[in-house]
Amino acid sequence: MKAFLRKLSGNHEISLAIILVVLFIVVDILSGFTFHGIGNIGEIFKNNSLTLIMSLGMLCVLLTGGIDISITGVLAFAGMTVGMLQKYNVIKNVPLLFLIAIAIGALCGLLNGVVIAKGKVSPIICTLGAMYIWRGLATVVYNGEWASGENVAGMSAFGNTAGPYIILAAAFVVYFVVMKWTPFGRKVYAIGSNREAAQISGINVDRVEILVYVLMGVLAGLAGALSVSLYGSAQPTMQDGKEMDVIAACVIGGVSMSGGRGTVVGTLLGGIFYAVVYKALPLVGLESIWQNLIKGVIILAVVVINVVSQRISRRQTLARREI
Amino acid sequence: MAGKSGRTISAVPVRSWKKLILSWEGALVVIFIAVLIAGRIMSPSFNLNSVMFMMPQYLSQLFIVFPMAFVLIMGEIDISVGSIACLSATTACLAANAGLPLPLMILVCLGTGLACGALNGFVLTVWPELPPMIVTLGTQIIFRGISEVVIGAGSSLKYDSDNLSPFAATAGPVPVVFFAVVVVAVLFMILLSKTTFGRRLYAIGSNRTAAKYAGIGVNRVRFIVYALAGLMAALCALFLLTQIPAVKSDEFGKGFEMNVIAMCVFGGIATTGGKGNLFGAFIAGMTIVCMRIALGLINVNDNVITIVIGVLLIVSVLISGISRFKGKGKAKKKPKSVTAD
Repeated sequence: MKAFLRKLSGNHEISLAIILVVLFIVVDILSGFTFHGIGNIGEIFKNNSLTLIMSLGMLCVLLTGGIDISITGVLAFAGMTVGMLQKYNVIKNVPLLFLIAIAIGALCGLLNGVVIAKGKVSPIICTLGAMYIWRGLATVVYNGEWASGENVAGMSAFGNTAGPYIILAAAFVVYFVVMKWTPFGRKVYAIGSNREAAQISGINVDRVEILVYVLMGVLAGLAGALSVSLYGSAQPTMQDGKEMDVIAACVIGGVSMSGGRGTVVGTLLGGIFYAVVYKALPLVGLESIWQNLIKGVIILAVVVINVVSQRISRRQTLARREI
Repeated sequence: MAGKSGRTISAVPVRSWKKLILSWEGALVVIFIAVLIAGRIMSPSFNLNSVMFMMPQYLSQLFIVFPMAFVLIMGEIDISVGSIACLSATTACLAANAGLPLPLMILVCLGTGLACGALNGFVLTVWPELPPMIVTLGTQIIFRGISEVVIGAGSSLKYDSDNLSPFAATAGPVPVVFFAVVVVAVLFMILLSKTTFGRRLYAIGSNRTAAKYAGIGVNRVRFIVYALAGLMAALCALFLLTQIPAVKSDEFGKGFEMNVIAMCVFGGIATTGGKGNLFGAFIAGMTIVCMRIALGLINVNDNVITIVIGVLLIVSVLISGISRFKGKGKAKKKPKSVTAD
């Protein structure tokens, strides 16, 4: 039993999953058993699909020890571009528009990756500059006219089908497989745990790093097209500041900021965790205005609890060794 | 004595004019002058009066540049300063609207900032293994969240008093805020380059473990720096209130942290710690402010200006990275050494 408990407290994903299940049951009881409906859960996934999708890319970036804060800039640029293409009737084909958004994202990511891997620029600074550039370009594309619901009717129709769910599920399945069972996934972990060792063991660190940022850009571009579909509009300010939500989802899910630690499952749990809490707030009598405050407290609490539990487990290991 | 052992100290920097001009700060001064000349050519209305007139709306961010430089020199980051400015402005508004006299209102405002910064410092020193980025991300959301709960989402809190006029005053064409920034800059420069506290910052930034074993109270220094960042964010809020006399929880001070970090990095401060000085950061800040004014005068959209700043940021870091690689090769060939005797 003791060993079992130790294993539980040692594994961030399992403890997070347990907290999530308990929270879910409590919320369900408080809401008079209306919370567990398929519609409600679907809503949670749909409302958070952008954060969830981008958190996968952020997971890889954080695993290599980097960070990318330009993602919502890329999202806005890609989303704005496809919105404008529809508004002026250049392209109305939804799959093609998604491809265009993804291509734009990939190019943006490539720029980040090359500057960071080849130019040895610190990731936060490079992506900070990129954030300014892409957000600014989104405004240039926007040029005073935003794409409204009628303009992007084709895409919003797609947003109301099961399409977003399928994309979300596919992204998670692909990432789960890639990160766990392919050489690329293992290389990402290797670089994050020990860069020199990875380099010496023959991994092309630069190439993997560039690819990680390209994938982040691809997902950001995809999220841009998805954002236009889900919200039925394209504005240059869309999802402004939400990159921090993505990072927060990863961190709550147990991804380490110094690289090398974190899983796809943890990221998924971290992304849902906050969504469930937000849904639960009105049920315990707090208005939605408290949402942000509570989000911040959750982030702080999770990282602090993490550190405290690590300290305890380290002390226990030491104590065991002394016997 | 040294002649006997033949040892030399090669780490003592030799100041020469050539080196000064070729340094990043020298390049920044050249860029700054170039921006001024370009502004003058592009727009005939770009002169001392118009620059000084438009300066206050951009200049208040410069207050945060200096403590942020301290944080970066330690190799850490603080992304909560924009939210601290927002919360301090909120309490300042509440205090002024409740009829408190000016000194008391200032005290409330700065006290809020100091408390917020101290909270950052407290969390980061009690659990020093926490990454500063995540902790300040959490407090960033919390501080703005508090101000949202107080003001209400989407609504704005008006500053119903005109007692801020001394802060908005001008001496000739020069606004008070400019003098305040210069005074703060000089104070922080003295603190960084002439006191043991400043040397400790560099020591912590270059090698934290070594600094700890050298007897530096690393956590005490970190606490002070984060508290200072909070205080300066509040000072920024105070001056910003003269420009925008209403606080909106999702707008006031939004994105300041990133603007300020960009100014610091543009000024040659490495985010990896231990490098950079405040003169560079100050000139970089002034360059960006003047560029915004110049581009604003010729009616360039503010968002285009952010593209320029983004490109500038990446290019400057790339160039300094390349020159660093070259510098390493040179230093091996020709060590400028001073014999200790």
